[in-house]
Amino acid sequence: MSSARWMDIVGATALGVLLLLAAFSQETYTLKVILWISLNILAAVALRFVMLTGELNIATAAFWGIGAYAAGILTAWYEIPFTLAILLGGLIPMVISVAFGYVTLRTKGPYFMLISFAFTEVVRLIYTQTEIIGGNSGMIGIYSPRWLDPYYSLLVVACTILLVGTMFWLERSAFGRLLKAIQNNDAVVESVGLDVQKIKIICLALASFAAGVGGALFAHANRVISPGDFSFLVAVYALAYVKIGGEKHVAGAIIGAIALTLLNQYVISFGHYEHLLFGGAIVVAMLILPNGLIGLIERLTEFYGARRSGGSSRPQEAIDG
Amino acid sequence: MDLVAQLVVNTLQIGSVYVLFALGLTLIFGVMQIVNFAHGEFFALAALVVASLMPALSASLGLPLWADFLIALVAAIGAVIILGALTYWIGFERYLRDLVGSFILSVGLILFLQGVLVEIFTATPRPIEPIVPGTISILGGRITAQRLLVIGLAIAFTTMLYLLLQKTKLGKALRAVAQDREAAMLQGIRYRRISFYGWLIGVVMAGLAGALIAPLTVSQPAIGGDYLIKAFIIIIIGGLGSIPGAILGALLVAFIESVFGYYYDLTMATIVMFVIVMIFLLVRPQGLMGHVER
Repeated sequence: MSSARWMDIVGATALGVLLLLAAFSQETYTLKVILWISLNILAAVALRFVMLTGELNIATAAFWGIGAYAAGILTAWYEIPFTLAILLGGLIPMVISVAFGYVTLRTKGPYFMLISFAFTEVVRLIYTQTEIIGGNSGMIGIYSPRWLDPYYSLLVVACTILLVGTMFWLERSAFGRLLKAIQNNDAVVESVGLDVQKIKIICLALASFAAGVGGALFAHANRVISPGDFSFLVAVYALAYVKIGGEKHVAGAIIGAIALTLLNQYVISFGHYEHLLFGGAIVVAMLILPNGLIGLIERLTEFYGARRSGGSSRPQEAIDG
Repeated sequence: MDLVAQLVVNTLQIGSVYVLFALGLTLIFGVMQIVNFAHGEFFALAALVVASLMPALSASLGLPLWADFLIALVAAIGAVIILGALTYWIGFERYLRDLVGSFILSVGLILFLQGVLVEIFTATPRPIEPIVPGTISILGGRITAQRLLVIGLAIAFTTMLYLLLQKTKLGKALRAVAQDREAAMLQGIRYRRISFYGWLIGVVMAGLAGALIAPLTVSQPAIGGDYLIKAFIIIIIGGLGSIPGAILGALLVAFIESVFGYYYDLTMATIVMFVIVMIFLLVRPQGLMGHVER
């Protein structure tokens, strides 16, 4: 079995376990942790989807926040049905992301990264300046229907699986190959008559839909949102999940989100040392795991594969690399 | 035209610190092809060292205040160089020219160093008394002598960096590496050594900016955040890696900040800056000075 196939199994198993835990666990604490893990997976996979084109989209955090505020306003003020609010929580950031992409995706690499950073922080400043949505202190009273409460974690895990599955399927499709081609050499893609900027905008819009739904689910899980929840750190944590899990395969984002969310649950008990420990863990993991956690799994499967076939795995590695 | 003069004076004062901060960032990008998100932490470290040493020094040594400031400045730059060398050897050395890897490393460092700074200096804001008292009026614009001193020092530091880059061998090597790494290496320039120097000079610029801001504001560990986002806007406008672009961009951002800060408030000024950046990108995506490939 190839290592990519192994990764498929690892990713699917992880999501399956989450779904089972969310469906059958009775403990409130477990359900809460499952909920955070699931939302973090969604953020990480949405960020990674744009990374397929080679761009680091820090504005994932901004679209996450726009989804949260949009859905929050819709349910808290207009009492729009919950499902519709979640859907609009995805669609509104998606539309904004198209406009954002139209202006900013003319640039790439470090410029796009800095602009998406600045966009995220400026959107956050706009929240703090808008008194009607609570300014600095944020919004309260964002409720999902009461009957849904026991099943909320299950719903979030289900939405995550649906969206992650769709993005994974897109990655494997012809569209996904196009995205990777842009990452490798956008000039070549342009030279065969394809509109690189348009493809990138579509990619950004799809990822922003997923991020927006994530934000909307987050807002209804928390019931209270404030500008501080949507700083660029949301994207940074998402990137940490992707990098520490391993960016080659979507399973990396899933494993990374699970590992770091559990770690964060642990370090949170250290009070104000929380940031210090979490930041330290990210730095250490970056330094000792260049290919992330799935890089370890890959090496392990290659090791066993090599033993079974009685040969070295080197030639295969050379072809993959 | 008192108001115009006042706005120009304010622009110069705000801009002088932005110039130093953004120059360091753009220099590091030029040489290492990475964006140092932890730049604000070096800035904060220097500001905090100056702010906590000044009162102690003036109480114990009995020297004139400017001498205390000088000693504190040297200590702050020393601390920045030590932290810069450590972070380079432990981390950034492995992430040269790796935008995503260095990004997450530097943000991990932000979280970590914020924790360390709060631990050492506590989160209490630290004001210090003015080094030079009094107010001076220039062409109808009023400015405290203190701020004038900061402008003077910032111009001096910027000039020193300019001379270093233009006149010395190290400066030529830094510029060569920024223009074309491979060609520079073919000429016998040691890329790794030069990028280390580039990194140190870059964080020292952040440290100088922080040391200069300490007498003008109340220092606390999170002080670098605001400067970081404005520095990003500056280098998007000026073009990444461009020295004149960083200077012009800093003055432009400072001008917008002083005008909108005067009529509205500072947050509004930042939002307006970003809108201008977006319009700017539509018209001129390569930046003010940029001829760099994007």
